[in-house]
Amino acid sequence: MKKLTTLIVLLAWTGILTVDAQITEKPEFGRFAITNITIHTVTNGVIEDGVVLVEDHEITLVGKNVRISNDYQIIDGTGKHIYPGFIDSMTRLGLVEINAVAVTLDHAEVGDFNPHVNAFTAINPHSAAIPVTRVSGVTNVVSVPATGIIAGKATLIDLWGYSPDAMAVKGAAALHIEWPTAMKNSPNDSRSDEEVEEKFQGELKELNDFWAKAEFYNRMMNAFEENPQDRIRPDKDLKMEAMREVVTGELPVIISVNREKDILNAIEWAEEHSDIPVVLNEVREGWRVADEIAAAGIPVIVNTLYTPSRPYENYQRPYQNPGLLAGAGVKVVMGSGDTENVRNVIYNAGYAATYGLGREEAINALTINPAEVWGVENRLGSIEQGKQANLIITDGDPLEPATQIEHVFINGFKIPMTSRQIQLYDEFLDRDAVNR
Amino acid sequence: MSFKINVSTIVLAALLLTVPGEFSFAQATGSVLIQNATVITVSGDDLENTDILVQDGIIREIGQNLNAPRGTGTLDATGKYVLPGIIDAHSHLNGIGINEATNPVTPEVTMYESINPNSVSIYRALAGGVTTINLMHGSANVIGGRNATLKLRYGLGQNELKFKDAPQTVKFALGENPTRVHGQGNGIQPRTRMAVETVIREHFDEALDYRKNREAYLEAKERYDQNPQGNPPVPVAKNLRLDVLADIIEGNILVHCHSYRADEILMLARVFDEYGIENYTFQHANEAFKVAPELAEYGAHASIFADWWAYKFEVYYSTAYSASILNENGVTTSINSDSNELIRHLNHEAAKAVHYGQTSENDALRMITLHPAIQLGIDDKVGSVEIGKHADLGIWSGHPLSIYSINEKTLVDGVVYFDREADPDDVRLDRAIDPVVDYDDTSQTFYESIEGRNYDACMADVFMLFESSDNRQSWNQQIHNH
Amino acid sequence: MKKYTTIWTGVIFLFLFPFSLTAQDPPAYAVENVTIHLADGSVIQSGTIVWREGVIESVGANPSIPYDAFTISGGDSLHVYPGFIDGLGYWGTPDLPDPEQVSDPGNPGYERAGIEAQRSPEDLELDGDEITEIMKLGVTTAAIGLKGYMLPGSADLFFLNGDHTADHLFRSSVGMEFALEGAAGGWGNRAYPSTTMGVMARFRQLMYDAEALKDHIEYFASSEGSMTAPKRNRILEAMFPVMENEIPLFLKVDSPEDIDRMLVLKDEFDYDVVIVSAKNAAYKAEELKERGIPVLVSIDLPEKPGWMEDEDSDPSGEEEELYRQRQAEAYRNAAHNIRNLLDHDILVGFASTGLSAKDFHEKILALKEDGDLSEEEIIQILTVNTASVLGAGSRIGELRSGNIANFTLFNSSYFGEEPEAKMVISNGVIHEL
Repeated sequence: MKKLTTLIVLLAWTGILTVDAQITEKPEFGRFAITNITIHTVTNGVIEDGVVLVEDHEITLVGKNVRISNDYQIIDGTGKHIYPGFIDSMTRLGLVEINAVAVTLDHAEVGDFNPHVNAFTAINPHSAAIPVTRVSGVTNVVSVPATGIIAGKATLIDLWGYSPDAMAVKGAAALHIEWPTAMKNSPNDSRSDEEVEEKFQGELKELNDFWAKAEFYNRMMNAFEENPQDRIRPDKDLKMEAMREVVTGELPVIISVNREKDILNAIEWAEEHSDIPVVLNEVREGWRVADEIAAAGIPVIVNTLYTPSRPYENYQRPYQNPGLLAGAGVKVVMGSGDTENVRNVIYNAGYAATYGLGREEAINALTINPAEVWGVENRLGSIEQGKQANLIITDGDPLEPATQIEHVFINGFKIPMTSRQIQLYDEFLDRDAVNR
Repeated sequence: MSFKINVSTIVLAALLLTVPGEFSFAQATGSVLIQNATVITVSGDDLENTDILVQDGIIREIGQNLNAPRGTGTLDATGKYVLPGIIDAHSHLNGIGINEATNPVTPEVTMYESINPNSVSIYRALAGGVTTINLMHGSANVIGGRNATLKLRYGLGQNELKFKDAPQTVKFALGENPTRVHGQGNGIQPRTRMAVETVIREHFDEALDYRKNREAYLEAKERYDQNPQGNPPVPVAKNLRLDVLADIIEGNILVHCHSYRADEILMLARVFDEYGIENYTFQHANEAFKVAPELAEYGAHASIFADWWAYKFEVYYSTAYSASILNENGVTTSINSDSNELIRHLNHEAAKAVHYGQTSENDALRMITLHPAIQLGIDDKVGSVEIGKHADLGIWSGHPLSIYSINEKTLVDGVVYFDREADPDDVRLDRAIDPVVDYDDTSQTFYESIEGRNYDACMADVFMLFESSDNRQSWNQQIHNH
Repeated sequence: MKKYTTIWTGVIFLFLFPFSLTAQDPPAYAVENVTIHLADGSVIQSGTIVWREGVIESVGANPSIPYDAFTISGGDSLHVYPGFIDGLGYWGTPDLPDPEQVSDPGNPGYERAGIEAQRSPEDLELDGDEITEIMKLGVTTAAIGLKGYMLPGSADLFFLNGDHTADHLFRSSVGMEFALEGAAGGWGNRAYPSTTMGVMARFRQLMYDAEALKDHIEYFASSEGSMTAPKRNRILEAMFPVMENEIPLFLKVDSPEDIDRMLVLKDEFDYDVVIVSAKNAAYKAEELKERGIPVLVSIDLPEKPGWMEDEDSDPSGEEEELYRQRQAEAYRNAAHNIRNLLDHDILVGFASTGLSAKDFHEKILALKEDGDLSEEEIIQILTVNTASVLGAGSRIGELRSGNIANFTLFNSSYFGEEPEAKMVISNGVIHEL
């Protein structure tokens, strides 16, 4: 405990002295015992007055009345709460630094079919937004490339690490498809209904042709690889190679789609590709077809802070969308769609909680649900022995804006609770203090 | 889901039944006794189990166990919270045009002449407890147009939306937006922050000269018209632009200046100090926290985003703690939306000041009520629950800073304009419905659906072209350019 | 006396031409045996109209036909309507050129800004073909304005005579058009003013500048003293008659909000106004009535929602059903715009303002069907009301002796499916079809 106090004093000092302190500020690593704390395991209920032990990268124990050897750093959790770290399933974090500065944008590649580009490649571990995000309680994000029809592959990362390799939970987590719309694209779109439909059918055909080619390529390569001796090795095609793990269903496919009719089209496509795990993203009109999405067994990535999509629609629909979907039986995960303010994914979840999703399910949508959707439920998403130690310690309900995030663990590292935004606060709260 | 229209509030009933030419609405005020609420006065302490008596739109009494005068209805608010109507000091909620972006200096235009009273966004903002907005000109020009202070009396005409006796305010803009639009776009000054200053000075000087010459002419004209002897005066035409500028210098129009960087903020403060301009507000002002002591000394205000940053270069070095820093340094600070989405939940934007800098709850709530009222020069009328102020109020299910609280009713001048219990899905006004648009076509308005920061309200009209350049419904393709 | 007869059906000429091809025109003309529809709604069966040198001499059931009148028999099948009057149309006027790029968009100069108050159609060539098209619809007189932006120019009143319309100017400058239209140009070549509020500010400055110039000219003219000569300016000077209430501003606006905006300016400068187009003016009917402002209304009703005429079209659900209710109400409101204006005793005339000739008759029928207007009311709007708004009610509009001979002979009632104009008399000149 004394050690911790000293450290805090030291941190306060460095904060005042230089804005760049964070660069040299290191996380702590080793053995931690978080005691007397309310544990929100997510998967196994709430444990009052419990203990969570962390060693190396893992949660090694979750329980009560535990004897703790003295080589553990103790964090007294009296009056505090511990949750699994939150996961934002739809971001550009690490890919985009300043949206208006084109040279800092690495999320949107040229071309309509880019399954071979992977967000993992371009993650900048030193993005200023990463510390800002993690100290707010978000320990993991899916960073997703955009534009085109097949935009590229998304990556699931920890928000701590000096390299993409160190950060990656799943280097390639999903393929991202931006669903071709069968609707007019703005109130000023002067195309006829026929032209709109023709464009959609054309793009859908392109997608299906690309898919069919990828399936063929995979079969051909499998056949060759099973029996290479007698055969001539076909030429490698980078895009087609990238599609192999997709067409075999190893990698989920995110389909970004919003409007009622487009969602139904996307569901139809998903049902035609029943071996592929599909996740629908954004689905702002999802509540209109919640039963259809539920029947197809497709999970959705949603947020809540946008305006209603139709002028005659009730003002609350965006807030209610996650709750209405979950009520129909759809698995809901939160995705902010943001970059520098991924931290607001919690705020989005709060709206979902208040307007029908409920608090518990909103927490699930930030934790275990995304872990399951991205196939990492054995590593992330709950507080269970053996899972990766991605944890947040709060002084209250994390969905409440007033609640403070006091500690963050990512992959067992106890993260310094600072960011450029906090350093600016420390420096400028009493700016001229040093001159007095 | 029920689609039944169950309209009980008088305004909604009126607006849905409007017959062309048959309906004209006086600036309605209401009388009501709100009973047994927790009243967040904002100006003082919270009051438990308290009644508020509203007569003809004005708060007449605040206390316990008040009696409703004959004919005054009651509204039971047991277990509820009453918050002053939220005031958004930076909005583009319902303008038919936002930016007269063709010239770096255009104070002659006014947003009072650009009001769209029919926008559903007004209702949606009311639903979030907002009662007053600063409908601002855009940020393309160094000296933009004048803004409009509006009350959200949804259903009434544009003239009835105007906040009576609110002082005039005008938009200025520094930094990237004006230098990009005029310098980079048209090759005329300013291209740099250096020339932003000189554009302001040149025009101020021109306005002062003009006012002198114009007044001299009017005097000479009066003399000559009475007694036509000697040489007649050569007319000096009235000049609207220069008149407004001279009024700004004389302190008759409050300046709200779009700005980001600390250097440009100080530049304007210096220039204003030199011309004797006081009582102005820096809008956005992401780096105002860096010069908070100076702002406090100049008496300048700040109206900021709770947490927006990094969407453009000039906001890269900013912090969500800025509201707290400014507040601690004695700068009157408000939190604004600049967005038709954020305006729906400004209470929780204010909550971010509690979250980040641990500003007190009352100070945080002042940032969306009393402080914006001060910045708009209407704090003698609205911004707190006090006797004599307008009955612009939100009635909330719980404490408005809690994520689980919902605004249930919004009153403007004592009239209920939003009632969650009588909240039809389709609240479009008759006069706003285009009969040519079929149901199937209407989802093309999808692209009006916006996410806070991603929609560039401040630069509306300037970058319109980009907005629908791609027909694919990407989850986040719009530009960030506030 | 030579009787002129012809077979009225079966032959359609593509072009109109003046009837008087003979070397010498007869001193007077008459049509007899026709059904005459007067603007006041009364109908004269087997009536006769006599006109001489462009002026109606008599209209009635049995007037005596003068010996020197060349007489045309209608054979009892023709319907005569007073010549329709277009209160503001752009027939035959030149299209707008593409806007030039400006180097300083904030100071584009008057013309690039859309301020062309000095322009006048009487100075221009008018395309006779377009004019001929509307003559076939029964329009004999039109205030022709110019296509443009904020202040496109004045409107001049012409008797329509195909290619020779320019020779039949009735009155110049019956109004000065003003619209809340920003300067030409879109993305990349916009110019000041580009917004409604910009147009309003620009208009004010124009008026201030015009006032100063007017004062300057007057001072200069009235004094012998030393004084800088005024810098004359055709555009500013074109506003003088508006300032002196010699001609009204034709405010081209539709929405109640834009009408409000225009009335703000009217109150500031106190010019005479006519509201033109006015598609949703009914929302401002009370105020227009109170202020005594006349209207030249567009008949360009919105297209009727398709489902309203398709019995098999069922809504997809409750939401669409409600949507349709409100859409139908909105259509009804739009269609009843004129009805509501008339019910408020507002003087309502007609202006085509860009309506295409091919839609004209269809819109007239829609007004009767969906707009709840009687045939008589429609004819009044198209004739005497418009004449009255234009201040020409003593000369045109009604078929009565002493008025200028403007009328059209149709093969059927105008409110039939496809009435065909057989002969148009405009300013007394016969055009045979």
